[in-house]
Amino acid sequence: MSLRELVGLALSRLGTSRLRAVLTMLGIIIGVASIVALVAVAQGATSGITSRIAGLGTNLLTVTPGSTTQGFVRTAAGTATTLTMDDATALAKVQGVAALAPQVQSQAIVVAGSQNTTTSVVGTTSAYPSVRAYTMWQGSFLTDLSVSAALRVAVLGATTADDLGLGAQSIGHDVLVGGIPFRVIGIFQPKGSAVGNQDDEVVIPITTAQRYFVAGTNVRAIGISVASSDLIQLTKARLTSVLEQRHGTSGTNDDFTIGDQSQLLETFSSVTGTLSLLLGGIAAISLIVGGIGIMNIMLVSVRERTREIGIRKAIGARRRDILLQFLVEALVISVLGGLIGIVLGVAVSALIGTLAGWGFVFNPLTVVVAVGFSLVVGVVFGVWPARQAARLDPIAALHYE
Amino acid sequence: MNGSGSIETPSGTPVIELRGVARTYSTGRLEVAALRGIDLDVMPGDFLAVVGPSGSGKSTLMNIIGCLDRPTAGTYTLAGTNVEELDDDDLARVRSRAIGFVFQSFNLLPRTSALENVATPLLYQGVGRAERLARAKAALETLGLGDRLDHEPTELSGGQQQRVAIARALVTRPALVLADEPTGNLDSASGTEVLRLLHELNEEGTTIVLITHDSDVAVAARRSIHVRDGRFVA
Repeated sequence: MSLRELVGLALSRLGTSRLRAVLTMLGIIIGVASIVALVAVAQGATSGITSRIAGLGTNLLTVTPGSTTQGFVRTAAGTATTLTMDDATALAKVQGVAALAPQVQSQAIVVAGSQNTTTSVVGTTSAYPSVRAYTMWQGSFLTDLSVSAALRVAVLGATTADDLGLGAQSIGHDVLVGGIPFRVIGIFQPKGSAVGNQDDEVVIPITTAQRYFVAGTNVRAIGISVASSDLIQLTKARLTSVLEQRHGTSGTNDDFTIGDQSQLLETFSSVTGTLSLLLGGIAAISLIVGGIGIMNIMLVSVRERTREIGIRKAIGARRRDILLQFLVEALVISVLGGLIGIVLGVAVSALIGTLAGWGFVFNPLTVVVAVGFSLVVGVVFGVWPARQAARLDPIAALHYE
Repeated sequence: MNGSGSIETPSGTPVIELRGVARTYSTGRLEVAALRGIDLDVMPGDFLAVVGPSGSGKSTLMNIIGCLDRPTAGTYTLAGTNVEELDDDDLARVRSRAIGFVFQSFNLLPRTSALENVATPLLYQGVGRAERLARAKAALETLGLGDRLDHEPTELSGGQQQRVAIARALVTRPALVLADEPTGNLDSASGTEVLRLLHELNEEGTTIVLITHDSDVAVAARRSIHVRDGRFVA
């Protein structure tokens, strides 16, 4: 008997009890749908997160001040005021640094006409967009000149501009930042948010910020873009040794921290890892339960069709013919279930992808894997009932009522 | 197939040759002898009725002749093949090629059309689908069921079902048709019709062994032998 004939036999048999066939497939459908969704969600989340982290800045390192110890009390990280503009200047010369932008930060009320919003005011230098991966939507960014001259000019984040009702026509107009008039020279493209809202801010020259909004010449953070991703760890080490030299510290008592994105990535990948584990667990359990369901139905089927098996044997079916007939029937159930599961899984992952905003990533390999899994389930759980059928004694089977 | 055979002038080698065939069943410590030394020759073209009451061993004899069972002693040669040396799959092959069964309860495949039912034995011979269906159709037409090809067993009368079963037995052109109480579940008109069909087939040369408990049915055969307690009686 050819495979085609066996499949045809199985299909016509399943056609006589469709509801039962579909119910039997349910476990496999859920299992395979979970596998497909699992792979698509894991891939979609990973690519979504990777691109968003890249959106924070290309090969970004962030230098922040450490905590200080006042008396016996260690205060929160970032509260020390040990990072200065001179540190920034020195770090800019370190090999591997492509761009560097020191920044200070404050909160202020921004007023434009009758609209107002409270947002963070970031004082920085002209390299800020290349370090933090901002692009301009309207106008231009701060120049070295506007920084050295401490001009009262401002670049608005997309959300801030939106909140204030400002658009392309607002370039060259004034807004009040903390009561002080600033000329709007540009508006950023929206970035979307990975951590916090990066589109809600007002960017002004660091020198201007130090004059009006923050005391002293300390900087809150220094953002550094490394020339290439393989240089990140090396550059981080060089930056550390330069700063240790300047601050007279070493390892244990460093008064600064250099953060990179790998920590962020690890956090996110542990989240997607947990998600994958969860879906993988569901998939494994439903495949096993689905397989047991198939085995159960096949055993019932063998019992119900004992007489049919007897007839087939009497008119010339060999053990192998009966074995294959029942095995192929189990396989057809599991593979059909698998195909339905793929369709369902693709739909679910497209839905999740749309809701989560990373779009839909379809990997054809999942189809191969899913069909493979259903075949394995079909064989593993179909062989035993098929062997039971094949081993029936024809005389007993013929007289079975 | 040699169609000239009769008891007076047997010709060629026997289709069935039983020599001292015995069959013993062991049920726990008890040994039950269902057949105790049977010798039988059936020539090509013969029409033999095996008559006996229930418990006489005639069903066991039919199972052995039909290669569904094997003797515990003696030899059985079917169409020149010694069945003793065959394994289960070989027996299946012999059933497929040399024997056509007609059962008391028809034993058609449920939810399967008459055409597919008749074509199924050819499936196990590895015949291609187109040829299977063509031969099955021809066999059904021969038996006057050309207009019932797509009917399932439940849509056919008993007599029609038995004719489908006969078509299924004939479609492989077997050396031997084995009919086990073929009229047992039929009204007398349909039963007479089935016996007439078997008689016709025999006239055309098919070797038939008919198993029955009913001496009236056995009349349709050329000759009959009686079984009692696992032995032939006169």
